[in-house]
Amino acid sequence: MIRSGTRILLTTAIAATPLAAFAQDEVTVGFAIALSGFVAPYDDGPYKAAQLAIDDINAKGGLLGKKIVHVAADTASDPAQGATAATDVLSKGAELVMVTCDFDFGAPAALVAQSQNKIAFSSCAADAKFGVQGIGPNAYTMSTATNHQGAILAEFAWNTLGKRSVYILNDLQVEYNKSLCSNFEKRWRELAGGEGVAGYDEYNAGNDTVIAAQVSRMKEAEAKADVVMFCGAINGGSYVRQIRAAGVNLPMITGESMDGTYWLEAVPDLKDFYNLTYGSIHGDDPSARVNDFVARFTKAQGAAPVTGHALTGYGVIEAWALAVERAGSFDADAVRAKLDEFAGEDLLVGKTTFSKDLHINNSRPMTIVKIDGGKVSSVGLFDAEKTPEIKF
Amino acid sequence: MTWFVQALVDATSIGSIYALTALGIGLIFGIMRLINFAHAEFITIAAYVVMLTIAFGFPVALFAAAAGVLILALLSERLAFRPVRGADPSTLLITSFALSYLLQNTLVLIFGARPSGLNILPELSQPILIGGVRLPIIHLVTIAVTVLLLAATGAFLRKTRMGIEMRAAAADFEMARLLGIRANRVIAAAFGLSGVLATAAAILYVAQTGVVEPRLGLHLALIGFVATVVGGMGSLPGAVLGGLAVGMVTVFLQVLLPADLRPYREAFVYLAVILVLVLRPQGLFRPASARERV
Repeated sequence: MIRSGTRILLTTAIAATPLAAFAQDEVTVGFAIALSGFVAPYDDGPYKAAQLAIDDINAKGGLLGKKIVHVAADTASDPAQGATAATDVLSKGAELVMVTCDFDFGAPAALVAQSQNKIAFSSCAADAKFGVQGIGPNAYTMSTATNHQGAILAEFAWNTLGKRSVYILNDLQVEYNKSLCSNFEKRWRELAGGEGVAGYDEYNAGNDTVIAAQVSRMKEAEAKADVVMFCGAINGGSYVRQIRAAGVNLPMITGESMDGTYWLEAVPDLKDFYNLTYGSIHGDDPSARVNDFVARFTKAQGAAPVTGHALTGYGVIEAWALAVERAGSFDADAVRAKLDEFAGEDLLVGKTTFSKDLHINNSRPMTIVKIDGGKVSSVGLFDAEKTPEIKF
Repeated sequence: MTWFVQALVDATSIGSIYALTALGIGLIFGIMRLINFAHAEFITIAAYVVMLTIAFGFPVALFAAAAGVLILALLSERLAFRPVRGADPSTLLITSFALSYLLQNTLVLIFGARPSGLNILPELSQPILIGGVRLPIIHLVTIAVTVLLLAATGAFLRKTRMGIEMRAAAADFEMARLLGIRANRVIAAAFGLSGVLATAAAILYVAQTGVVEPRLGLHLALIGFVATVVGGMGSLPGAVLGGLAVGMVTVFLQVLLPADLRPYREAFVYLAVILVLVLRPQGLFRPASARERV
């Protein structure tokens, strides 16, 4: 008796769920992201921030008079399961699908959204191919292109730090790093000429977990250089430790992939280290709105975001909602037309511009934070005068 | 000349960690003909135990990691490998994959996949100047500790009863059993020793890299397998020298290759491995027990 009773209850519950999602006064946003597995930490911040954005919009009366509800499906950090996760949230009526913060892991889900003519947004895939060229006209990413990141860092080192000779260390494992270093070098050579590069070396994080030979070479070139451009990602803290352990104390500049303090225990007394970020998570960002966001995020989640990438998740919802409002409709074609008209929109994640062909930002000023004696503080908001063009 | 000394120390230091890993893998292979892929997780878990206990001081963390991984190694022998002992080598291999996968994903569940910083033995993360060459102290310590551990393992295998039994079992497992050597005891001892070596490799490695993450041991274990193959499957000195050789080749190629070819360094490393296997299919050091007797 108990069993059949439970079954009836379950059947009722299952039958009722889709009805609720399709209710007239609600609109659904889907998350096809990694809730578990190796990529989960990188989706976690943007996901939580996106929920905060949804709450903010609902508190103001919703979107086109409808309350935003959200559904999520786990890709389990498996690109192959990305498509299933996207199909799942789309079958529950999602009008927008947010996907993983990476081209390889996010593209399969975005392709499904594209095929059903819905908007797909990656929180922070930094590859410009995440858009019209690599997936389709409905795919966007909230990231700042590595072209602009590289240019900001080059101009920051040249103008603000007054450095004249760079040593470049590049991690070949991750596309983001390769692209960041090559764009940095392009802009740097425009500023400093051929003499401005004291040395260049690379490693592959997949094979070289210990980079003794690279560090020794850097040590030899140390006298000729006055700054190190470090294009490293996930395990970057390990390489910074090895560089400092060899006695190389040159200032280091890096991209957004090194943001956060979770790795800092590897080099507790780190000094003269600068990284880009979408916004300081330490409450001292030049933008008061970012600081307010970090405070509210901390209150809601019990801890500050681990990295500034969280802001990109907020940006996804904010951008889509803005385009929906301007279009007066949830229809993907109408929303896409409005997104493509974005010109320096002042979103929480920073100024955001899209065009018909380019669905990644290549002109957004970003915050730079400095690590000194293990303490992180914001240096300010920086932009680049000239940015290498994106070529496909 | 200084570049050569620098590269030699770098290479020996990396090679030392590879050698410790290869020896841990080689020990189990020699006796059980089991390629233990879960050795990677023995290393990773040792690093996590250190991370959890380092607040109580380094000696406590060292002991906790060694004890923890020793128990883990003994448990995996008892629960995962003993039931399939004597099965087809491919069954053993799949079992070790399954164990590796299980442990790795358990770590992700508990600690998450994001790497954590871990600063052990910070006083070793300084360079010292010796004859115009600046060497990170940790490299010298790594080499010294490895030499000591290899000497101790060698003495254990030669001088103690258990060690001699292990060598006998490695030479001919069936014959050793017929002569009264207890298989369970010898295999358990090999797993225990393998676990202790994994702990040493983990600590020396993390003292250099300062980062702990659930896939930390994978790269080391992979090199360890290559090293045991190059050295000669089943030969313990072969495993150690194989590990050193891979470290040497990697670092010297990195130093000597022209910049354009450096991104393809790994291809050259494995080309060297292929050359060894073509010229000496039995590996550099072929154990007497591996020879066919007519």
